[in-house]
Amino acid sequence: MLQMILTGLLCGALLGFVMQRGRFCLTGGFRDMYIAKDNRMFYALLIAIAVQSVGVYTLIQFGLFEFTAGSFPWVAVIVGSYIFGIGIVLAGGCATGTWYRAGEGLLGSWIALFGYMFMSAVMKSGVLAPVNQSLQTTQLPSNSLAESTGLSVWVFIILLVAIVLFIVIRELRKPKVMIPTMKQRKTGLAHLLFEKRWHPFFTALLVGLIAILAWPLSVATGRVAGLGITTPSANILQYLVTGDNTYINWGVFLVLGIFLGSFIAAKASGEFRFRMPDAKTGITSFVGGILMGFGASLAGGCSIGNGLVMTAMMTWQGWAGLFFMILGTWTASYFLFVRPRKVAKANANAIASTL
Amino acid sequence: MQKTLEVMGMVCPFPLIEAKNAIEEINSGDELVINFDCTQATESIPRWAAEAGHTVTNFEQLDVAAWTITVKKK
Repeated sequence: MLQMILTGLLCGALLGFVMQRGRFCLTGGFRDMYIAKDNRMFYALLIAIAVQSVGVYTLIQFGLFEFTAGSFPWVAVIVGSYIFGIGIVLAGGCATGTWYRAGEGLLGSWIALFGYMFMSAVMKSGVLAPVNQSLQTTQLPSNSLAESTGLSVWVFIILLVAIVLFIVIRELRKPKVMIPTMKQRKTGLAHLLFEKRWHPFFTALLVGLIAILAWPLSVATGRVAGLGITTPSANILQYLVTGDNTYINWGVFLVLGIFLGSFIAAKASGEFRFRMPDAKTGITSFVGGILMGFGASLAGGCSIGNGLVMTAMMTWQGWAGLFFMILGTWTASYFLFVRPRKVAKANANAIASTL
Repeated sequence: MQKTLEVMGMVCPFPLIEAKNAIEEINSGDELVINFDCTQATESIPRWAAEAGHTVTNFEQLDVAAWTITVKKK
């Protein structure tokens, strides 16, 4: 038990710290692919996936643990991921993003987090569990890319690594734009940890390494999985309201660690402050959290569980989940950011033409 | 001339969207002062300014989790 608490909190805290300092926001990344035509954060995610894939399959190759992909509940994954994608835009952050922003003191994220935990519990063991289960029954027999194609999993891993290397080299060769920074106030290690701007690709490398580390740490406590956010978040609420100890696992301490690590990073950088959103943002955050919980429970994973981990494990669930979650963020971005601007411009032109 | 945009309390991506709207309303050479408290905007606003070719004439932390940036329109 003590080991579970310590390694879970440690792994989570590392992740929370790195994500806070690296501004690692997948929601913003997916959204900006569409509204700003900027793929930088998506490339960063691919780096983290590739690093994790090589690391975890190496551990598997050495026989440290076994991984079975199971079957592919494609309807639930597609519908769930799409709804999850809409939810994270409304909530202003994905599941992990919401955990780490909660650690920065954003009360809007606390609201989103509550909606997310609540709806996940409702879907997993509450009144909507039958709906969830019935949607899971439409399945394809194999979830593994290797199994479906008869190729070695390493073919897919090498292909991904090659694509990622190509992208990284191309991106780093682009003429650099000087990004203005604030005046340096700290020196040495404090500057590097609590002030300096981190390159997203460097942050992604660290996220990938932490995702590898999560596997052996979690397996050692009997939970054969890597990073995961949704089930553990639901588990916290399920444990609190039932008092049933079986809901406590390594993942619970992982998500609590994210909160803690982000708080430490934000506090030491002078970036922690309780910030109360206005009523409209509060409501949007809550609705976003509910949609996130519904979608992620249905899809069997969030942007981390499916988008980072199941992709690295080379499963259909991971890659299909990632694709439809991105489509969801684009749909929500259109209605929230793109359309209002178009309408405002059209109105301005209409007024100008009547003058 | 200088125009100030107060987006304290707004979460991403709204500070950036508001900044993009506001810069369209000022003349070339004028400055836009943006006061914000969304941590992620410390990355997204200077990045946008640099890539759009504007000049950042001031960028500092005002207080705990509060920042100001001044963007001079190109």
